[in-house]
Amino acid sequence: MNQTQASTGPILTTDGIPLKVSLKKAERINKIRAFLLVLPLLAFILITFLVPIGDMLARSVDDRQINTVFPKTFEVYKKWDRQGLPSEEVYKTMFFELKNSEGYAVGKASTRMNYSKSGWKSLLKKSKRKFKKIEEGPFKEQMIAIDKKWADPEYWLALGQMVDPTTMGYYLNAVDLKYDSSKNIVQQKENRRIYNKTWIKTFKVSLLVTLFCLLLGYPISYLLATLPMKYSNLLMICVLLPFWTSLLVRTVAWMVMLQQKGVLNNLLVMSNLLADENRFQLMYNQTAVVIVMTQILLPFMVLPLYSVMKTISPTYMRAALNLGASPMHAFYKIYMPNSIPGVSAGCLLVFIIAIGYYITPELVGGKDGQMVGNWIAYHLKTTLNWGLCASLGAILLAMMTVLYWAYNKIVGIENIKLG
Amino acid sequence: MRKAIKAAFFGLISMAFVGSAVADITFVSWGGAYTASQQKAYIDTYSKGSSITVENYNGGLGEIKAQVEAGNVTWDVVDVLPDQAITGCDEGLFVKVDQSEFINDMVVPPVSDCVVPQIFWAYTAFYDKAAFPGKKPKNIKDFFDVKKFPGKRGIHTWANALIEMALVADGVKASKVYEVMSTPEGIDRAFAKLDTIKDHVVFWSAGSKPLELVSSGEVVMALAYNGRIGAAILSEGKNFEYIWDATVLEQEYLVAIKGGNEAEALEFMAHASTAESNAEQAKYIPYGPMRKSSIDIIKKGEPWFIKEGGNIDILPHMPTTPKVLKRAVIGDPVWWADNGAEVHERFGAWKGS
Repeated sequence: MNQTQASTGPILTTDGIPLKVSLKKAERINKIRAFLLVLPLLAFILITFLVPIGDMLARSVDDRQINTVFPKTFEVYKKWDRQGLPSEEVYKTMFFELKNSEGYAVGKASTRMNYSKSGWKSLLKKSKRKFKKIEEGPFKEQMIAIDKKWADPEYWLALGQMVDPTTMGYYLNAVDLKYDSSKNIVQQKENRRIYNKTWIKTFKVSLLVTLFCLLLGYPISYLLATLPMKYSNLLMICVLLPFWTSLLVRTVAWMVMLQQKGVLNNLLVMSNLLADENRFQLMYNQTAVVIVMTQILLPFMVLPLYSVMKTISPTYMRAALNLGASPMHAFYKIYMPNSIPGVSAGCLLVFIIAIGYYITPELVGGKDGQMVGNWIAYHLKTTLNWGLCASLGAILLAMMTVLYWAYNKIVGIENIKLG
Repeated sequence: MRKAIKAAFFGLISMAFVGSAVADITFVSWGGAYTASQQKAYIDTYSKGSSITVENYNGGLGEIKAQVEAGNVTWDVVDVLPDQAITGCDEGLFVKVDQSEFINDMVVPPVSDCVVPQIFWAYTAFYDKAAFPGKKPKNIKDFFDVKKFPGKRGIHTWANALIEMALVADGVKASKVYEVMSTPEGIDRAFAKLDTIKDHVVFWSAGSKPLELVSSGEVVMALAYNGRIGAAILSEGKNFEYIWDATVLEQEYLVAIKGGNEAEALEFMAHASTAESNAEQAKYIPYGPMRKSSIDIIKKGEPWFIKEGGNIDILPHMPTTPKVLKRAVIGDPVWWADNGAEVHERFGAWKGS
């Protein structure tokens, strides 16, 4: 082939361009066209998915807000030895920067400062209003006269956490740690340590929900896949019907069922199985969250399981039995390994949905059922501490990525099957 | 086909422009009977041209901040809590308003320069009369006393008002509550008091829940929004009784969102904050007006609450009558704006432990 080409020269098209070149050109045009076709989708994913995640990650370390309002204060602040109260110079710089800053910028900065020490918010607002009347020093005494918080070293020490334009403080906050005034990492105050417990709880609840979904979903899916069509269709509707019912309706229905004076407890008491004063506490706690979320997420387990089991030919089992395996053994050796892709898909799906769940824990969680999602919602809406929300979200994202990676290493992602 | 698509596309675009040229207002509030009362008192009586769309939200500044930061403001007037009124005004999310019309007619001075008054609502303890055939609970001490009045208590899943009530139950004067709360020992004291009922508590987070809890006998007493208790008594004929002690009064305001249809929004807010309008709202829901003269209007007009088959006196259900105010705590939004996050985290740790 090479020899013939060498002797006759490259093959030319009718307009004299070598065929290879012209082919490449045509392919390139096709490639560009194909790219243009997927471009809208790519842009869509970029704008609605990657940019927000990037923005979230950026917010979780961003600490510029306060540094744009008090740049000079921080410069002189850094020279302070953190003993007693800062010098007149620090007070003076703070005074002028606060007095001359634009009101809304101070408002935002004070919200930020309040995260590291409660009280900054009203202190800055009150001070800014009263600073208008003050023209000259000494500033320290006058500021303390306005509010005695200015004489409390705690407030000044809290500023030490914020001297840099980027911070890991939100991440520390999300795992019950914090910076002290010299940016050493220390434990959060004991009665504010809430997030580590919440992380463990979130994991525990999600794992339990996944486990119960699997235990309940496996036999159902098996029945669905093996029953004759006319029964399995009916069963399928029974699985899907709750799936189509509003989440809130289902959650509230569970409240009626499980509360202390609810249907279940009443039935048990009426049938004398339970003494009236020993009614089960099944609502407004972690138990309630697990029960209700299991029911809500069950279809996410059943559907992938069913579609995988449907593809397992019944002849395999018959062959195994024919070859002398006991039914248990045949199930264990033949059916189960074949259904693993569905199990993986179902478990991963349920776990991922469960770990970020919000509304059900909010409604039935009561005493100890709040998950990470509830704290994100609280800070998003009430304290406006979006940095903390972002870091909680980023940790959640990182956990899922690690989980996915581990899963891929152990089971292999190609083993996942939705049908 | 292509032409048709093109025509449809340009049609849509031009419609979008026409749509934004007419200044409609989007009014955002909490939904339910409360929004219904605002609809009747403020929106149905408004005749200044702009048509008003009503939306519901769940409180918080999250959505508002997102809209303002993205430069895509779709809400114009929002009904907010006082600590949000402060933060939102400080951070420039709300428009400053002219308050000269009502500033001297308020039960308490407005919390920020961006608000017009709506109502006082209150966290109040209540019970079903049938639950206590003999001695009945009279004050907040009884609410915290599970020996004298055995049975479960329904409380909400956040810290606001609970800290105040716990302190009053522990013997702090209602007027000194925030002074005590501003010391670390004060907060410890409140949590110690909460500890005494911890094993007897059922938590609720949706406003309708405490009424169900008390109705079904799940708890014997609960804290709830006074308007919900009132509605249950007035409209559903429930046999509930208020415990008007250490009632924690919260303020409710309207604000205009910066970057929305500001002029129209302010005009509507002026209408929705007159003494007459504020009094009008009390015909449909038992929340207390924030304007002193509104209360006078109601007093003269009793029976004020509109009900089929004969109107009813509304003042006994109001949290702003002198009788209630004498024993009430007026919620301090500045304190909560400062300390809310810290106390809420501690409350979360307390709940879960």
